[in-house]
Amino acid sequence: MDVDIYKYILLFSIFHSSTYLMFSIGFSMLFGVAKIPNLAYGSLYIFSSYIMYTLIRYLALEPVVAALIAVLAAGSMGLLIGETVVKPALKMPVTIFITTLAVAYIFEEFFRIEMGLRPITLPLYPGVTYVLGVPVSNHWFLVLTASLLMFSLLTVFLKYTVIGRSIRAVAESWDESRRLGINPLKVLRVTFFMSGIYAGATGVLLTPLKALTPTAGWGPLFTAFAIVALGGVGSVSGTLIASFIYGFLEQTMTYVLGSGIASISPLILIILVLVFRPQGIMGRAE
Amino acid sequence: MVFVKRSARDLIISKTPFLAVLAALALLPLLGVGGYWLDVLTRVNLFLLVTLAIDLYSGTTYYLNLGISFTFGFAGYALALLNVYYSIPTEYSLLLAIPISVFFSLVILLPSLKIRGVYFAILSLLVPIVYIGIVTAQPFSLYLGGEGGLRFKQLFLDFARSLPSDVRLVFLQYSYYYISLAAAVIGYLVAYKIGFSEFGFMLRAIGQDEELAEGTGINTLKVKIIGYLISSSYVSIAGALYASMRPPVTVDLVVPANTLIPPLTSAIVGGLGTVVGPTIANYLLLLTYELMWGFIGRWRVIVYMLLLITIIVIRPQGLIFKIYLDLKKRLRGVLRE
Repeated sequence: MDVDIYKYILLFSIFHSSTYLMFSIGFSMLFGVAKIPNLAYGSLYIFSSYIMYTLIRYLALEPVVAALIAVLAAGSMGLLIGETVVKPALKMPVTIFITTLAVAYIFEEFFRIEMGLRPITLPLYPGVTYVLGVPVSNHWFLVLTASLLMFSLLTVFLKYTVIGRSIRAVAESWDESRRLGINPLKVLRVTFFMSGIYAGATGVLLTPLKALTPTAGWGPLFTAFAIVALGGVGSVSGTLIASFIYGFLEQTMTYVLGSGIASISPLILIILVLVFRPQGIMGRAE
Repeated sequence: MVFVKRSARDLIISKTPFLAVLAALALLPLLGVGGYWLDVLTRVNLFLLVTLAIDLYSGTTYYLNLGISFTFGFAGYALALLNVYYSIPTEYSLLLAIPISVFFSLVILLPSLKIRGVYFAILSLLVPIVYIGIVTAQPFSLYLGGEGGLRFKQLFLDFARSLPSDVRLVFLQYSYYYISLAAAVIGYLVAYKIGFSEFGFMLRAIGQDEELAEGTGINTLKVKIIGYLISSSYVSIAGALYASMRPPVTVDLVVPANTLIPPLTSAIVGGLGTVVGPTIANYLLLLTYELMWGFIGRWRVIVYMLLLITIIVIRPQGLIFKIYLDLKKRLRGVLRE
């Protein structure tokens, strides 16, 4: 392999890792607090993309305006899902798997019936920049910037704001936080909204790079799930590390082994890691 | 649970619903139910084993095993591989596939069984996803059949070929149905025994408070592993039988939406840990889903899911078991008068 290939692998590993980071931070935050994965997370991703598509196509809105509306819609939908489907099931946490999964199927079927199976795309951010002599679409830079920004914002939010600290307190112990005067249900509500915003933002930013179909939500959901498991449940820095491990491994393997086995090589690694360290890289065993 | 000695009449009354349903199911083919609906019932019978597996393990310990679909599909693949690459007749590879699949399921999930918390659920959901990836990825797909699946000889095909052509299909269909029914009945009776045995109560103790259970002298790891083995055996038997009746084996067997969600739903709506509730829910829900196809066509997924959410949100601890108890009480009252 010549030097160009290495440059290419390095660059795209970084870009792909940033998309994985984007997938997983919103999911990780919610997983950390509720301790149960929201399996409708992928639905919010396709939901915001379809909203943005509809707004651009039928109302001829500017992409930026459409994207903002779509992200807010996803946040509200996240809140709605949390209120209607997750909160009543908190007494029996196992049932959250079923209810959120049922929501995911409802979204999938709805878009299958209303929008059809034909893949849809959203507009890319225009322009191309040369990095180390490799042409890269400006949209990748938008994604990279946005994902790092989203990550930093979340870190600052969780560390330095009252609500953020409350989220961490609730994640640590539901009962203890109540004794400190925190209302866990209120915290859960905020978390659902924010998680929805993050899922929505991921949708409108990444759909231009991939095709949008009613089943497009499952890939991000499972990737996010795998990354959060690898990084450790409830650990934001673990999510960062795990995303980059995932991205670099996948991109490198694509060049070494070809695309078939490469896409699952990170998953195989994750299984191996979890077999020996079930709590993930940065997680703590109970 | 009532530990008072029951009168003979009470015993007969309490067993009546079970025997009535069993008789009805056994007579259905003779009453002219055949074709599509007999196939559906065969599938529902086998799914009962999976529902019971979830109920016995996850329903009592609250350790959610989402790797059920992996065990189910792995048993099918083991059967197909033995048949195709080692030319072992399907009837025997069916029997071999069951221990193989139980063994692999245990090896992969053993480390996460050792620690407490959500990690078991997480790892168990990833296993089927990775397995699907492996089956469809380039070098392995050549041996495992990829998307198209792996063809093998279905159960009893050699024998059926010796029969006249007009009864061949009917023979296969009826024999499959009765095998599935026998498996379901034995599975139910065994599950009932286990669920309300001393061992069953140990599993429940873990579900209530694992540390406390350990404090009372229960070896929780051992109980969890044995419970998991029983549960995996149920799933492996169901998976191997199911696959043997419908070649080829494809990744559809491993997709959680197909082989995990319907039984898990039945277990929850039926009432976790109650054995009877999930069994009734298994038949009710799966048959309702099939029936809905005729009424609302493509909207059935959405309507069914909304119905499911409503039931779970209103009664997260399960609905069917409570209804069953109420009905039984009423029946007993009527018979007493």
